[in-house]
Amino acid sequence: MPTHLSRARTLVAVLMTSAVVLAGCSAPSLSVLEWSGYDKVDFWTDFHTASPNTKVKFEFGSSDADILGKFEAGYGSTDIVHFYTGWQQFYVDEGLVQPIDTSKLKNWDKVPDSFKKMGQINGKQYFLPWDWGFTSILYNTDKVKTPITSWSALFDPAYAGHISMWDDGPGAVTVSAYIHGWDETKITPDQLATIEKEWTAQKPLNKTYWVSEFPDLCNGIASGDVWVAYDWQGCYAQTLYDGKVPVAYANPKEGRNSWVGLYGISSKTSNYELALQFLDDKLATLSCTNAVTQFYYGCANQDVMKAVTDPVLIKAFSLDDPAILQHTNFTPLVTSAQRTAWTEMWARVKAATP
Amino acid sequence: MLGRRGSLRYLAVPPFLWLILLFVAPLLLAVAISLRPDSGPINFSRPWQLSTLQYQTIIDSPSWLRLLLVSAGMAFIVATVATLLAYPIAYFLAFRARERAGLYLVLLLVPSTASFLLRVMAWKLLLGSDGAINSFLIWIGVIREPIGLLLYSQAAVILTLIYVWIPFAALPIYAALQRVNRSHLEAAADLGSGPWTRFLRVTVPLSLPGVLATFFMVFIPTVGEYVTPSLVGGTGGIMFGNLIQDFFTRAGNWSLGSAMAVIMLALTLVLVAIALRVVNLRRALA
Repeated sequence: MPTHLSRARTLVAVLMTSAVVLAGCSAPSLSVLEWSGYDKVDFWTDFHTASPNTKVKFEFGSSDADILGKFEAGYGSTDIVHFYTGWQQFYVDEGLVQPIDTSKLKNWDKVPDSFKKMGQINGKQYFLPWDWGFTSILYNTDKVKTPITSWSALFDPAYAGHISMWDDGPGAVTVSAYIHGWDETKITPDQLATIEKEWTAQKPLNKTYWVSEFPDLCNGIASGDVWVAYDWQGCYAQTLYDGKVPVAYANPKEGRNSWVGLYGISSKTSNYELALQFLDDKLATLSCTNAVTQFYYGCANQDVMKAVTDPVLIKAFSLDDPAILQHTNFTPLVTSAQRTAWTEMWARVKAATP
Repeated sequence: MLGRRGSLRYLAVPPFLWLILLFVAPLLLAVAISLRPDSGPINFSRPWQLSTLQYQTIIDSPSWLRLLLVSAGMAFIVATVATLLAYPIAYFLAFRARERAGLYLVLLLVPSTASFLLRVMAWKLLLGSDGAINSFLIWIGVIREPIGLLLYSQAAVILTLIYVWIPFAALPIYAALQRVNRSHLEAAADLGSGPWTRFLRVTVPLSLPGVLATFFMVFIPTVGEYVTPSLVGGTGGIMFGNLIQDFFTRAGNWSLGSAMAVIMLALTLVLVAIALRVVNLRRALA
């Protein structure tokens, strides 16, 4: 008898364990190819609250090219991808993403039309805009007495040894195109040769080329090593909050640059509805607010941006300047061949001895 | 029933397979990828075309090849200095530390238990404008403004890499010195050799295989180093490995990155082959 009871208990225990394991296996899951830091629950908290049982698995890329490479390599296993303006065409041309059914998004009407257009290719809404920001020149006003009014400040020998440029070929081409007034999408080989020559000559003026905005550049600004830097507004806001180094964010006469982060859904996903819900919830108030207040990046939900009252964030996003977008250049689409040529040019600059 | 030799042969199968799968196969894959004309990430569903375009691109970029030589030069300095500094440590452990050698060896390796990145970042704190060295020099009045060149320079990369390698560099030399037959030293002493003569004519030649093993153990990975230069090198301390990393992770150009890696590997192999010839020559002369 005791043996039978023991067997029965064991059987029940095995069945219950199996049920728990199976329940775990059948729990919905979503795979997101992201940038480091964006996996923080605060940035998708609305989805987490609405779907607490859904397991969200994050993989990371270190650049737009890296993300594209990883998305292609793991094609079919990743549901959602996050990248930045300039790369949309590749994803569509390669058939990697599918259109987004915006009629199912509750928060879509909170996104301005100008942002929606950034995610459209061939008249279809392939991408959902989420984070956005500016690129301009951040400078230490203790060391730089005259306000910076041009991108050419990055080439000014007066700041030798205290400049920090972003370690990125296409970024360098963009700056040069602004300074020379060239069309960024139609850079000729001769113009590219000029750009290479100028950035090679500029190389010794840099303290370092920065790769990661917060750990690399912000530390350089905070330590006083870097006076003039190519920067997104994140480090500007961070430095304002720290209050140790007086800084300003330039309004170059050539115009600032602006970028938008876009989410796409894999054309091979078997979790389309879940992916839609994830993206919709990314646009919800709390997730967007957290991106603005914790990362100092703008969010495509305009209600959230209108609700910003923090003076630092108002300065960082130039929310008090209604004309700011009129002198802002948005990152255009460029071809794969152009990107290849520009990154090779930048590698030559990095290897060169001026 | 298998004989002893047969059993040993089977024991060699797992590491052999491991090497084939995770060392030889990726190398061959890198060579294959370097022969593709595509510039983006590799899409294996596309037709495979053979091309030397990537190698042509490298040849057309003399600054890249120059940087490869600069990197080899930096690696040579790092390997030479690390080996020279590690030799006395290994000598002390082998001939003077006696029963405490094990303890000292552990102490030598203790810093290595901390993350490699942490140790490199520590140098950033030491060498930075507001770092320990500049702060101390300002405090004692030697300088008024921080020395900017301490950090973000080729020298900072070399200094940091030497520090990182020294504990490991001592190990092969220590092993070689332990194998030195003490009776050879006694015989030399009996024949009237002084301490320096015994060291230069007996100890050093007998430890040469360990010295060369150390040198190449440091030299080979240092040629392709990219983490340290990206943290403390600035624009002047960039190495060839940084370009390879850029093409893989930032530009997504796997073909060009692979071609650069293959060229770096070829250069390193040539240098190792030359050194091995030199060692054989020495043995022949001996």
